[in-house]
Amino acid sequence: MLSRRELLKLSGLAAMSSSLPMIARDSAAARDLAVAHDVSSSAALAAAPDYRLEIAPVTLELSPRHTVRTIAYNGQAPGPLLRFKEGQPVTIDVANHTDRPEIVHWHGLFLPPDVDGAMEEGTPPIAASQTTRYVFTPRPSGFRWYHTHTMAMGDLTLAQYGGQHGLLMIEPRDDPARYDQEFFLVLHDWDGRLLASDDGAMNPSYAVSTINGKVMGAGEPLRVKQGQRVLLHVLNSSPTEVHWVSFAGHGLQVVALDGNPVPTPQTVPMLRLAPAERVCALVEMNNPGVWIFGEVRKHVQAAGMAVVVEYADHSGTAQWRQPADLVWNYERFSTAQVPAAAESHAGSEPAIAIPLVLESKFRGHGAMEAWTINGKSYPDTGSVPLEQGRRYRLQFINKSLDDHPLHLHRHSFELRSLGAPLRTGRGPGTGTGPRVGRGLIKDVVLVDAQTQTEVEFTADNPGATLFHCHQQDHMDLGFMLVFNYA
Amino acid sequence: MPVLARAQTNYEIQVYGADTVPPQNLMVELHSNFTVDGQKDIIDGVLPTNHQEHETIELTEGLTDWSEVGFYIFTAEQDGQGVQWVGDHIRPRVRVPDSWNWPVGVSVSTEIGFQRSAYSTDTWTWEVRPIIDKAIGRWYFAINPALERTLHGPDVDQGWGFAPSAKISYDFTPVVSGGLEYYADYDAISNIASVHNQQQQLFVVTDLNVSPVWEINFGIGIGATASTDHLIVKMILGRRFDWGRHSPVD
Repeated sequence: MLSRRELLKLSGLAAMSSSLPMIARDSAAARDLAVAHDVSSSAALAAAPDYRLEIAPVTLELSPRHTVRTIAYNGQAPGPLLRFKEGQPVTIDVANHTDRPEIVHWHGLFLPPDVDGAMEEGTPPIAASQTTRYVFTPRPSGFRWYHTHTMAMGDLTLAQYGGQHGLLMIEPRDDPARYDQEFFLVLHDWDGRLLASDDGAMNPSYAVSTINGKVMGAGEPLRVKQGQRVLLHVLNSSPTEVHWVSFAGHGLQVVALDGNPVPTPQTVPMLRLAPAERVCALVEMNNPGVWIFGEVRKHVQAAGMAVVVEYADHSGTAQWRQPADLVWNYERFSTAQVPAAAESHAGSEPAIAIPLVLESKFRGHGAMEAWTINGKSYPDTGSVPLEQGRRYRLQFINKSLDDHPLHLHRHSFELRSLGAPLRTGRGPGTGTGPRVGRGLIKDVVLVDAQTQTEVEFTADNPGATLFHCHQQDHMDLGFMLVFNYA
Repeated sequence: MPVLARAQTNYEIQVYGADTVPPQNLMVELHSNFTVDGQKDIIDGVLPTNHQEHETIELTEGLTDWSEVGFYIFTAEQDGQGVQWVGDHIRPRVRVPDSWNWPVGVSVSTEIGFQRSAYSTDTWTWEVRPIIDKAIGRWYFAINPALERTLHGPDVDQGWGFAPSAKISYDFTPVVSGGLEYYADYDAISNIASVHNQQQQLFVVTDLNVSPVWEINFGIGIGATASTDHLIVKMILGRRFDWGRHSPVD
């Protein structure tokens, strides 16, 4: 078996990462610092960063028939793969070559609020034509990502509707994973437009869907060898859409959700990823041929969301095996026992419940819905105080007709109950829905319409902490709230 | 709304939106219109509209994401006449696909059909109806600058007539919308009729959006000229039937 580093050199993603300016990564001055500051005209520029991201307009060719004018990192979407060492300080210069303020959110990291990358938490924006230096110590290890955290407000070319998303791998000090080759696969939807939907409001709909910025057939195939053990890191960076993906002829052994190892790895026929979710899955390459990895739903795959996987010494038409149904549940990857990681956070006192009632607000059949948390839209949702060190149980009471991918910044949470049907009326749910086992640690959870889901987290990273729906159209229209603790 | 020179007009009183019925869906609509105060005399053999009830069944089948075809059965009921079959029309329609990203909805329908001479001196007619609409927040706008001509009847040599209609409405709640609908017939484009002879109607309407598969519209309309029925009450009740076989993976 080749070493991980040797195999990286063989993969397409290694080429992506090699395009980055990797300079000194152990700056004593940067150690233990976590700051974001403007370096456009300061002497600080003299100290070279570990990485540099350039935010600039670019024309991307999704296929020979589809080009899109967008804003991206370093002229590509997804942006370059950044590999950080857990616990080792890193410096990233981000130059904003656009004419509007930008900000980069380091999704899934436990960072201080002034560098996390959300203006609602107090991270300073990167002014137009300016450069900001982010300095922080990345943790925890695992598959993370970075993306813009600006608002689109109905302009379906801005914010996450565009190409500002990139891959982030926080490598552990000791990597126990055993695999021969890894691929990073980013699902994204492009060329959105607002269409009337059956729920009575306007919703985004997309003309093109891609994997790694390419419509199927427009990019290079994933090249594998029989007998290999391949690790897939799949990210859904879509601004609004949930995706189901399958690997024809192969099972997918899920080993991590949102970059966090699952207690019970399971082999499944397909993955479901809500916006911002990540899944890491191992695949045994034991079925030689030319296959398709792609969206299970026919109309989305037809819009381009698929990639060819080609075994060495095999050629011909890529094969697809159409599943008959959409299958996914989080709980099968949990465990009946309390894992040490969850137990260490649980403490002795019961978690304090915070009910969050999620509802839509009608704005007309010719508009997108607005959103409320406990009856108020951001910024009127205010700041909910937390006490450092306490355990909290967030009760997501989704009274709306939409599913919501809910994200908590700067923390991870443990799933505790999923999909309990709501009682009629305004009270909390029955709490008797499918219960989830222990040990599923995530930073995004998809809460189905008209259900209640509960998660727990420990307030162990003081400062403003943003909670929001990761659908761009929902966060634009009020679906945000800030937790705060000193 | 077919508006004819010496013809009853109030069989289908509706301003069209640009959307078409989805493929593998059948829209069944019942148009019920009662003329409270209308024409009381027989003119050129055409029966009076006063206190006449019109029931029109409209069946519309979606063909593709951008096309449909509709079929109408017109009936009339009146004291002394009983229930009478009036005629039938067929109406293909195409629209600008969503993928063209036009800022407004645009479609064009063409309607051709027959009406018995007791209800219209022009028995065969043809209508071409451009449709433009736009929803902005709670407001909805639609305009149908329809052109029509007679294929068989006294007006066959008059050429194209102009019969526009328009709608503006406001969403008071997710369920209840209300607004105004305007219908007119200016007669031949080459020889616009005097105001006295034009047909001009204004309806106060409400649409109840109780479900994506139901269409409910009520209205009360007044005619502003001597040639127009003076008071009409209308209702449209529609139900969409999806007969396609759908899979979650489609």
